[in-house]
Amino acid sequence: MSDHLAFLWRQLPNLLVGFPQQRPGGLVLSLVLAVLAVGVGFAVALPVGSGRLSPRRTVRGLALAYIELFRGLPLILLLLLVHQGLGGRRFGLDLSPRQSAFIALTLYTSAYQAEIVRAGLQAVPQPMLDSARLLGASTWQIFWRIQLRYALRVMWPAFVGQAISLFKDTSVLVVLGVGELMTTARAALGSDIRNAAYWVSLYLLVGLLYMVVALLASQAARRWEQRRTSTDLVHSLANA
Amino acid sequence: MFLQPAVVALLGKGLALTIALTVITSVLATCLGVLVGLGRLQGRRWLSVPAAVFVETFRNIPALVLVVFFAFALPNAFAPPLRRALFFDNPITHALAALTGLLAPWYLLGGALGLTLNTAAYIAELFRAGVGTVAREHVDAARSMGASWGVVYRKLLIPGGLHAAHPAITSRLIHNMKNTALLSFVSVPDFYGAVLTAISRSFQAIEFLLLAAAVYLVLSLGMSAGLQAAARKLFPTPRRPA
Repeated sequence: MSDHLAFLWRQLPNLLVGFPQQRPGGLVLSLVLAVLAVGVGFAVALPVGSGRLSPRRTVRGLALAYIELFRGLPLILLLLLVHQGLGGRRFGLDLSPRQSAFIALTLYTSAYQAEIVRAGLQAVPQPMLDSARLLGASTWQIFWRIQLRYALRVMWPAFVGQAISLFKDTSVLVVLGVGELMTTARAALGSDIRNAAYWVSLYLLVGLLYMVVALLASQAARRWEQRRTSTDLVHSLANA
Repeated sequence: MFLQPAVVALLGKGLALTIALTVITSVLATCLGVLVGLGRLQGRRWLSVPAAVFVETFRNIPALVLVVFFAFALPNAFAPPLRRALFFDNPITHALAALTGLLAPWYLLGGALGLTLNTAAYIAELFRAGVGTVAREHVDAARSMGASWGVVYRKLLIPGGLHAAHPAITSRLIHNMKNTALLSFVSVPDFYGAVLTAISRSFQAIEFLLLAAAVYLVLSLGMSAGLQAAARKLFPTPRRPA
């Protein structure tokens, strides 16, 4: 038991921030990659999700194809497709595993977020849009100032869920050896047969780390949501 | 042409394993998820607390960690003779080895266990939320007309919960299908694993990866259409608002 704890204690800093003398990795890298991908993914999801509701058929079709494509593929496959396809010899981009991982995560999460954006935009009550139109607002004004503002409130919990889900999905990046938590766990065990006894305890710790971060994030989001909804005018209108 | 007969056979076997894995883990996870979801709804704490711990544990640990834990790590917790007897050398693994041709079927079993627990935890939460939409008045009416709790669960709460939750459960089951590709990481030759093998033999990465993408897209879209059709059959009447 004590040798297990000693092993875990020795490896804990590696799991959290990566190995010394290497680039930062471990849990910190998992978090950074997930947050960046969700942020950039939102920028992609906004036009794609709005495109799903476009009056033009081709736009609707393209947006739907984008969503079905990147939601229909396993992330583990998307990673290799980006790394070998975009980063391969034929396409000519020389992507590092980290860059490929970031691109694949962004494509993956943007498809899920686009569906959230669509649902959020659809939740905006029609009378609100009609009144804005009657007051003389232009289409873009209505979109940015009314539809999106309202929809963001509706979308918020789903976005948090998607971000947490993507954070857990970063574990798949181990197939590219990106250096995030799962990769450091595998490297910590290495191929040393004497470490075989530590597999269970190390993966329990890794699971615990993922779980603690996910639970803390959802708790914090809920707390923030509760505090904000009590003072938010748009939200009280939405739930009236 | 990159599709030689040997490669086609390899990929075909992988595809069969992926489909079998998807069906088995989906069915098990749905049943287990409904049970755990019902457990969470109970007033008795010795039922609801373990159910809540189950959900939070297996939902918040990534599927890949669960798969690696059960397939690779768990056997290492036992001393070698016991490990052999429990995981690698017993009637169940022999039968499975004969059926699938795998050298170490435990990796398949352990990986499937990880996927099942992960998906069951999600479905338990979705199902619980679905049961919450069944009108309290309906339950009270059934009870006051003398229906036992068993009948209320079988005729009202479980169908009602599944009806309300089925769109979310469908997308979770499709997610589960995509997660079967994670088993290639524990050396299970599912479709994705077979694709990786084919690539390592031929070095034609892009061709095989694009083929795999097409196959997974067909599986996703087909599963979505199939489960929606099944839901229309199972729940023909639109739900009345409670």
